[in-house]
Parts: sequence; structure tokens; C-alpha cells
Amino acid sequence: MGWMVDRYRTLRSLLWRERLEDDVAEELEFHLAMRTDELVAQGMSPEQARAEALRRFGDVDTYRRQTHVIDQDIAHERRRIELWDMVQRETRQALRSLARSPTFAVMTVLTLALGLGATTALYSVVDAVVLRPLPYAAPEQLVSLDSRVPGVSPEARWGLSEAGYFYFAREAPSLASLGVFSARSASLASDAGPVRVDTAWVSASMMDVLRAQPALGRLLPRESDLPGAPRIAVLGHAFWVRQYGADPRVLGTVVHLDDVPTEIVGVMAPGLHLPEGTVDVWAPLTLDPARPPVNAHWLQGVGRLRDGVSAARAQAELTGLDRRLPELFPSAYSEEFMRQKGFATDVTPLKRHVLGDVDRVLWILFGAVGLVLLIACANVANLFLVRAESRRRELAVRSALGAARADLSWHALTESLLLCLVAGALGLLLAWSALRLLTFLAPDHLPRLGEVGLDAHGVVFTFAISVIAGVVFGLFPLTQLGRSLSALRESGRGLTSSRRRNLVRWGMVVGQMGLAVVLLTAAGLMLRSFWGLYHVDSGLKTESALTFDFVLPGTRYGSYDAANRFHRELLTRLEAVPGVTHAGATSRLPLRNFNGCAALFTEHGPLGDDSVCLPTPSASPGAFKALGIPLLEGREFTWEDLDGKADGVVVTKALAERLWPGQDPLGKGLRGNGHEPPYYRVIGVTGDIRAQGLDKPPTQAVFFPLAPAENLPLWGPSRVMSVVIRTSTSRPEQLAPVVRSIMKELDATVPVANLETLDRVVSQSPSVARATFSLLLLGIAGGMALLLSAVGLYGVISFIVGQRRGEIGIRVALGARASQVAGMVVLQVLRFAGLGIALGLVGALSMSHLLSALLFEVSPTDPVVLAGVCALLVLIAALASYGPARRASRVDPAEVLRSE
Amino acid sequence: MRIDLLQGTLDMLILKALTGGPMHGYAVTSWLQRTTDDALQVEEGSLYPALHRMTKRGWVKSDWGVSENNRRARFYTLTAEGKRQLKEESTSWARLTEAVAKVLHSRPATQVA
Repeated sequence: MGWMVDRYRTLRSLLWRERLEDDVAEELEFHLAMRTDELVAQGMSPEQARAEALRRFGDVDTYRRQTHVIDQDIAHERRRIELWDMVQRETRQALRSLARSPTFAVMTVLTLALGLGATTALYSVVDAVVLRPLPYAAPEQLVSLDSRVPGVSPEARWGLSEAGYFYFAREAPSLASLGVFSARSASLASDAGPVRVDTAWVSASMMDVLRAQPALGRLLPRESDLPGAPRIAVLGHAFWVRQYGADPRVLGTVVHLDDVPTEIVGVMAPGLHLPEGTVDVWAPLTLDPARPPVNAHWLQGVGRLRDGVSAARAQAELTGLDRRLPELFPSAYSEEFMRQKGFATDVTPLKRHVLGDVDRVLWILFGAVGLVLLIACANVANLFLVRAESRRRELAVRSALGAARADLSWHALTESLLLCLVAGALGLLLAWSALRLLTFLAPDHLPRLGEVGLDAHGVVFTFAISVIAGVVFGLFPLTQLGRSLSALRESGRGLTSSRRRNLVRWGMVVGQMGLAVVLLTAAGLMLRSFWGLYHVDSGLKTESALTFDFVLPGTRYGSYDAANRFHRELLTRLEAVPGVTHAGATSRLPLRNFNGCAALFTEHGPLGDDSVCLPTPSASPGAFKALGIPLLEGREFTWEDLDGKADGVVVTKALAERLWPGQDPLGKGLRGNGHEPPYYRVIGVTGDIRAQGLDKPPTQAVFFPLAPAENLPLWGPSRVMSVVIRTSTSRPEQLAPVVRSIMKELDATVPVANLETLDRVVSQSPSVARATFSLLLLGIAGGMALLLSAVGLYGVISFIVGQRRGEIGIRVALGARASQVAGMVVLQVLRFAGLGIALGLVGALSMSHLLSALLFEVSPTDPVVLAGVCALLVLIAALASYGPARRASRVDPAEVLRSE
Repeated sequence: MRIDLLQGTLDMLILKALTGGPMHGYAVTSWLQRTTDDALQVEEGSLYPALHRMTKRGWVKSDWGVSENNRRARFYTLTAEGKRQLKEESTSWARLTEAVAKVLHSRPATQVA
């Protein structure tokens, strides 16, 4: 019991630190009193004696203080040693005790580690993506500005127009600063050759908005975005390290950014990127306040609110400013446009804008993994219960022999803490590997993915859960202890109490089954969604095709002629490569960046003057054949169309059916916003394609030719292009070197980017990637739930069968057949499993609406999935009870009766 | 006459005092005064930091007990380590005094022309 005393002392010295001081004071006072007494005995008056004693003693305060400091040191040191000794002693004891039941220890650690690992990994993702603030100074002040035109397209978000930017920056007092950017890749050519760089073309004010700081050199100064300003750029930190080996001599060098000589003036502070993604190069966007305003919303706006100003106030202010647009910019914003279409500028907190609905997906997945942790905990709880049961006698005997209740619970607590901490450590290891896998598999568009990793938050999270689990499980034997005492009195045959404990055990099984139903339903629904997506006909032929992107610099390819000469030469050469059957180019690759929203007007028909908002990619001759998009009617573009005479466009079937239902679309007229008649004429109709996501309805789009017809203005030459090469081989990626060498021959300054198969473009498209990711996580969670429940069920049945051996033996002795005994066991299991499944179904149904965000063409209450899950779990329950049931049926009554 | 103690000498004297058995601080002072016929005039209070420092080093250990006149007092006991320390210190002290004595008793060196 000595160590109990030690423990008490440790505790006391922790709580009663001031006692030390009292001790010292008492000791010194004893000395003074003794001296005073002695002096009085020698004949001094008590006052004189006291004064003399003090004089001889010296400076009492100083000595007291010195002594006290030394005592504190001593106490501290002793505490440290005692604590450490205690930990060692308890750990050794726990290890010895666990070594006697290795199966229990290993099962507990593995089960918990799996649960903890999965939860920590997902927590780290949720933490990095959702919980952590954006990596800018005072990020809560940052807002995103974009425009909405419900009358043109209900869901499209437009950015700011140039005029809007200058206007809001000047007129909105809520905004301390307002910046705009356009994220677009560019080619950066230096002595080392051309590379494709993610470039943030920004207004100079973005530096203020983001409160950016340079790591080296300087940033973009004010007015560097005005026309005629010297061309300069700032490198992103990671790019500087990667490309230049962090060489500071890069400052002052001149590179060609999209073919324009540009001086590198600085390097951005590490980790600073645009809210939407990484930035290799920051370059000023040329913005001219004197340019006449156009209703073209192509800039992304980010504002910083003044101190103490809410986003709501800024919103109210901007709504007021919107109303004055027609009066200020009559040529760009007609009263009619504003009123009929309902133009509005929205202020959204930047984080919300960046996250979109990703946080919902992550919370669902996090919840799923949390359920796995719960199941794992239920399993471990059962393991602890069984262990407590098997140690009941031992505990009872020990407590009868005088071991304090506190002692016994302290042992149990150390044991479970030890197990849980080991499980936590193993869980961290699992989480770390899982995160590496997750970031590898996660959809490309998952925002803030670069920030995901195992960090202090994750470690603290795991540690906290381990400790909580350790304490909770450690308390289990404590609840058993009282009963153990009575158990001893009843010579271990407390039938009623063992029945009650069995109920707890079955309760856990029911709970586990229920949770497993919820998880497996989610996984099953995801699987069906994925299956559905996988079988959606994209309208393209994705196999045997290779694709890559390039950007032609505007300096040398600014005219339609120049750009088209390049395109024609490239495609001709590619088609001549052996194995290539078709080659084509388009400005918008289906399932990758098939977006955009240009207002279009039809010549006549039901929509009249009402415009629609559609993607308007340009396509080269051969593009449809290369993409494998069939033409239902008419023809596709030919090179002859591009000499400026022809005015043909190709529309998708879905658009043709919307604009001209029941009519022949060929020859119908279309024009772009702001363009005056005459009209482009439909020359071809494609089959249905799903270019904006496999989970979206068939795409409505108009393909324009690479160059406009005479008198038919069009957007500038298509310089940002995706090339698609259809091959006769099943391994199109083998053509990559040929593609690179052809591009190099044509123009060595134009870098090849995103060279990959069309199959990969599809699998990386947001809807598919998100479904894959969710399916993977839910699948793992469901699989773990299944495995853990099966193991838990098996353990409980084994235990209970073992417990009922006596009863079974009597039944057999009375003539019960083996099959009857086995049937009895299985029936009991199925009764509880059935209860669990029923409860799980209720849970799954009540949570179904949460999942619907992730699902595609499957109802969250899909009967096939629900029935499948139930069948699977019944099967698992039956399988888990098979072994114990067989064992029960083989009970030898004679042996059982002897052992009783 | 008042003698200033060399650094660490007080520790040695205290250790020596404790060789007779457990003592409280006041007893140590009295013993020192008695033994030296009051030659050593240290401030009595300086004894206590010294005693506690030695406790920290493990040379002595302390326990609360009851004094001869029935008061609660802290008694100090020499530990094995304390005994070792005392032996070491007295040896080097003896060497030092011997060496100093040799110097003091020698004849002054004379310059030989």
C-alpha cells in the first residue's frame, strides 16, 4: 500500500503548494522561540530576549525566502520522480496484466486504431478545408463580389465588369479596398525553355486586399495595372523554389510571359495564393479606367471590409449602387436589362464562396467515419465487458483481501489508458498513411486541398479521443466491482446479474448492427450513384483519345489568320502521325472546362428577344470526330469555312430541341449579345453530350467556328485551346513524345500542358471525381462497419454460448438434438440482429435527406439498397453465429455436468 | 573574535554536527557555538538555507518530530551520502590546512646574490 501513500503525497503536494511555505516559517519560528527561551532563562526580559534572538538570527525574511525556494525545488523534483515512478510502475503492472490476455489487448488496439485512424484522417481534411480560416491576414474581412442575372441564367455567377470594379472601388465606403483578378495560365519562357504557369492576373489593389507581403524584392506597386506601365511580375514562393531553386538572383531578370518581356521584381511570401488555387506568377492585369464601359463580367472581385463593417452592410450598399448603373453607364446597362433580367451584385464571405457545398460533403463523410469510431468503441466496450467478466472472480478475491476499490479502479484505468494511447499512436500512423492516399485520390477541385496534412490539430484530436476512450473504458470494471463483491457471496452464480450484463452486451450488438445499417446504406447508395454516373452516356468516345492544352501568345497570334495557320498546321501534322485517325481542337474541353455564359439571341422562334446564357466554344474542323461526338444532322466545320466567307455554327441536340422544338434546326439563325444582325446559321446538330458534368442534363451549347464570317463580329481569336487526338491504338498515351516534338517544331515557346488521356479527363471531372472520392470513403467506412460488427457479434455469441454451456448440457441430456441446440443459438442471434437492423433502417431513413446532395439518379430511400443491406447483415449475423452454434451443438452433457 | 567561514565550510561543520545523531537546526547552532566556544559568529539564520540545500543534494534528510521541550521541530539526519561527503570534505580540509600551515611555518625565501 506504500505506493498509495506516495500517490496521495504527490496529489497533496500538487494541491497544497503553500504548505511548504508554512513549514519553513514554522521551522524558523521554532529556532527563534528556542533562542528567546534560552535568553530569558539567562535573565533577559522576554522583549529583550526576542530582540536579541532576532539579531543573532539575521535577516529572517531573506533566509525564509531562500529556504522556501530550495524547498520548492526539492518538492518539484520529488514530484517529478514520484510521478515518473508511478507511471512506470503502473505501466509495468498493466503490461504484465495485459500480457496474460494478448488476444484482448491486440483486438482492442487494432479495433480502436482503425476507428481512430479513420476519424483523425477525415478530421484533418475537415479541419484544413472547412474549419481553418483562409490563409490571409484578418480573413474574416474578405468578401467575394460577383454578379447574378437571374433572367439570363438562374444559376450562373458572373464576375465583375471593369466598369463595375472602378465604380464600386470608388463609391462603396464599406470596402477598405477592392481588387479583381483573372486566373489564367500563361506560358513563361526563359533560358530554360517554356513552361506553363498558373498566373494570377491581378489589379494592383489585390496586394492591399490580401495584405500580401514579399518574401524577396517587392510586390506589384500601385498603378502597375494602368496602361503603359512597365511589365513586371512577382513569382509565387513555391514556384520560385521549384523552378529557380530559390535563387535570389532571379530578381531583375527578364522572362517572356505570354511572349511579353517581363521583369521579375519580387517573390511572394510562402503559402500565399489566390483563394481558388495555387499561383506560380502574379502579374498585373491591364485595366484602363478610361475605357468605355462594357457589360462584360469577366473579373473575379475580392474586397476587404473596413474594420467593424459587416458583409450585410456592404451588400446593402452595393445593392443601392447597382440601381445607379443604368444612369451612369447607359451604353452597358440598360434600364431594361436591369429591371427585366434582375441584375444584382452579391457580397459573399470569401470562405463561403471558396468552399461552395464542399463542406457539406465533408461533414457527411466525417459523420460516417465518426459512426465507424462509435462501432469500434462499442466493440471495444464489449471486449472490456468480457474481460471484466473473466476477471470478476480475481477482482472479487482481491477486493475481499483488502485491495481498496480505488486501487483496483486505478489499475483498470491505467490498463485501458495504456491500450487507448497505443491505439492512438497506431491510429496516427494509419491516419498519416490514409491522408497521403486521400490527397492523392481526392478530386482535383476540392478547395484548399494543398493545406491538408496531419498537423498538431490532428494529433491533439487523436490524443483527446484516446484519453476519453481510455477513461470511459477504464471505468467499466468499476461498475462491475460492486457486483463482483456480491458475486463472491453468491459463489459466482449470480444468474440475474449475468443476465443483465448479457443484455448490455446484446444492446451493444444491436447498436452496432444499427450503425452498420446506416453506414452500409450510405455506401450502397453511393455505389449506385457511382454506377449510374459510370453508365451515363457522355455522348463522347473517351477511349483511345489523347488531349493536351496550349496557349498561343497574343503578340504573335493576335489575328484570326495567325492563330488559324498555327491550328491548321498543328492538326494536319498530328493527323499525319501513324496511328492517329482524327485530330481536332476546341476552346472548351467537355467535362473539364466546358463553361462560360454568353448571352445569345435567336432570329425567330419562341424565345423571341429573350436571350439565353450558354457556353460558346469554338471548334476546329475535325473536332467532333476527334471527340467522338456524332452529328445527327448537317455537317461539321471544314477548313474552307474559315476563310471568312462561311457563317455556320453547330448546336447540340438539347439546344436545338429547346430553341426550335419540332422544327428543322438547320439554317436557323443565332447571334451573340451586342452583335447586330445578320445571324449565324446552324449547319449541324450534334448528338446529346454531357459536357458540363455527367450528373448534369444534356448540354446546351453552340460551337462557333475558329474565325468569324465577314461582318459577323466574334470574340477574339481562340488562343487557349485543347487538342484532342483520336487514335487506333488502345494506349494513346504512347503518342505523347510525338505530340511534344511536333509542338516544339511548330513553336518552341508554346508549352504543352495537361497532356493526358480523355478517359482521365472524365474520371477527374468534378462529378465523377467527387462520386469516386465519396464512394471510396463511404465504402471504406461501410466495409469497416461490416467487419467490426461481424467480429463483435462473433465475440459476443461465443461468450454467451460459453456461458450457457451448463444449460445447453442439460438440454442435451434431456434429449435435445444437435440441430435444435444450434437452431436455438442462431435464432437468438437473429432476433437481436433483426432488432438492430430495424433500428438502423429507422436511422438510415431519418438521415436520408442529408445524403441526397451526394446522390445521382437514386433515391435516398432506394428499396434495392435497403433490402440489400438488410440481407447482407442478416447473412453476416448468421455466419457469425455458425461457429458458436456448432460448438454449442457438440456440448457433451456428461462433461458439462461433471465440471459443474 | 569573529572568523569568516570559507565557502562550503559551514556545510562541512553542519554535517559533522549531525554525525552525533538527528538534530534540529537550533541544536546544530548550539552545538557549533559550544564546540567552538563561540568563536564562529555566523548569522544563525544562514544555517537553514544550508540545511535545506543539503537536503536537496541528498546529504541529509529531514523529518518532523517533537523537540526535548515538546515542540514540533524539523530534525535532520545524516544520510550515507552525507557521510561520504563529510569524509571527502574533511580530507581536503586537512590537506588545505596542512599546506597553509607549511607555508606559514616556512622561513621566508632570501635572495641569494
